[in-house]
Amino acid sequence: MSQQVAEQKAAVKLNEEYCSRCSICRSLCPFEAITKDAETKKVLLEIEKCQVCGICYSACPARAIDIIYYDCGFLINYLEKEKRKYNSDTLVIMCRGSAPDFSGIERLFGVSKFIPLSVPCVGRIPEELLLQAIAMGIKEIYILACDEDYCRFDRGSLITGRRVLALNQLLEQLGYGKEAITLKRHSLKVKPDTDLCISCGNCAFYCPYDAAKLDSPGGAKFDLDSCRGCGLCVAMCPAIALDLENWERERISTLLSKLLSEMKPPKILVFRCQWAVFPPLDCLPFSPNIGTIDLPCAARVDTFHLLEAFQKGVDGVLVAVCPEDDCKLEKGSWWAKHLVATLGERLKQIGFQDRLHFCTVAVRYPEEFDRELRQFSQRIEAIGSKKEGK
Amino acid sequence: MIVTAQKPLDEILDSISPYSNILIAGCDGCTQPPRGLREAKTLSQLLELGGRLRDRNFAFKVTTVVKQCDSFLTASALKPQVDDVDAVLSLACGAGVQTVAELFPDLAVLPAQNTHFIGVEDREGGILEERCVGCGDCLLVLTGGICPVTRCAKGLLNGACGGARNGKCEMNPAKDCAWELIFQRLAKQDKLDLIREFRPPRNYQLKAWRLTP
Repeated sequence: MSQQVAEQKAAVKLNEEYCSRCSICRSLCPFEAITKDAETKKVLLEIEKCQVCGICYSACPARAIDIIYYDCGFLINYLEKEKRKYNSDTLVIMCRGSAPDFSGIERLFGVSKFIPLSVPCVGRIPEELLLQAIAMGIKEIYILACDEDYCRFDRGSLITGRRVLALNQLLEQLGYGKEAITLKRHSLKVKPDTDLCISCGNCAFYCPYDAAKLDSPGGAKFDLDSCRGCGLCVAMCPAIALDLENWERERISTLLSKLLSEMKPPKILVFRCQWAVFPPLDCLPFSPNIGTIDLPCAARVDTFHLLEAFQKGVDGVLVAVCPEDDCKLEKGSWWAKHLVATLGERLKQIGFQDRLHFCTVAVRYPEEFDRELRQFSQRIEAIGSKKEGK
Repeated sequence: MIVTAQKPLDEILDSISPYSNILIAGCDGCTQPPRGLREAKTLSQLLELGGRLRDRNFAFKVTTVVKQCDSFLTASALKPQVDDVDAVLSLACGAGVQTVAELFPDLAVLPAQNTHFIGVEDREGGILEERCVGCGDCLLVLTGGICPVTRCAKGLLNGACGGARNGKCEMNPAKDCAWELIFQRLAKQDKLDLIREFRPPRNYQLKAWRLTP
């Protein structure tokens, strides 16, 4: 019984009745979460290993895999709605992991008016969706994937590349011209300001990818090819000399101020790893007193922004990141926990205890985040919205 | 490097309470963990929040100095910034705080750190450990590069004391016996005769308080 309940709550489900046991999903899964029973030949999903990349879902020829987030039907409905809203026949599908802002998209593809569709990993987009989009009257499709070695789900970008290649050949035969679908790859990397570097070596020590080096005078040097854009060095730099493309300090501060001006007390701000919670596409706030800021990884959780939120009148700050074992990058979740705990100790010293909460939530169990948010909201309401600075 | 620890925020809030316009000055020099611009900014945020709960409105400016213990560098970095402040809260070690205090006799100069020792950092282990007391008479050449003044609980110059158990100090079993480490290292280097050399008691006059380069 309890197993059944757990199954219902999981974000990905393998529907045995439809499964043809072809094993394509098993061969594509980057996390070895899908196995085949040697005796019964049944395909099995180990949900604990699943990271909800959606690659299996998009590849299953028998449609035997159900996924809670961004399934094809949902995306098609969304596209129809957005097509009217944007009044455009150009579609840009981008991975959240590497997509710049809209002006960056314009520069990359040379398009100014388009329907944006941002998903966690383009590897979850089935061919069916692209064909349906064309059938819907969309003239141009652009796909922005991560650089292959930057893909948070290991193979999502690679698989998309192959899919686009095959689809383009097919579409050409059908008379849709060459390269009906344009694929580009992109990554978001650290932006060092060498003038501000104090040569302390923090970036070189903390970088999980050996992208930062401090072995010659003149400050730290970055090998951008190795940088995977987790943002840990940015959070750890004592000189505020580093920033992360598309997640710049200023950009987060601006978003924070904007959210707070729209929120009602008691105000709760959620900083979350974009891989820990997949929000719905039309992303309406849960309630008028909750605002969310998505970060590229738990590693980019910066004490600066947490304190900034309190300074600007937030009543509670919730940090929701992936469990340590699920971190798409290296130890981002572990460091975030450490940073938030250290800050929590200092907040206690000035009487701000209980207003900062750290939790880990796995994207495979969508209800985990809702539960944490509900509990934290209750806690903040209980403390009462203290009016500061009166 | 000089190892410091944060003072409790309550204590800092008490010390800044007579003042309203405060410059928080970080130090990019050898203080560990680094107390540069980020720490200055973080501290200003925390103190502002703490002030609000105490019905105080402080105005903070933040800056950082390459090395606060260097009066030339500190003067050039801070002079243009202190006109409109009535206190400087320094994130440097005790030496840095005093440099600032001497430079600005009319300003309140307050420490935000407790200064502990000259030490080394083991980043992996997250540990900072004392390695030098600045005794003025370095004997590392005789002890295989291991300092008994800081690392032997008794500060013995002619060890070992005989109290160690399994290579651990009798005062603190978590610590290695410095003299056993010295013995092993000298033995490895075939220099054990050095351990027989008699070292006279420390001459505290050598702990110089002023030097010219």
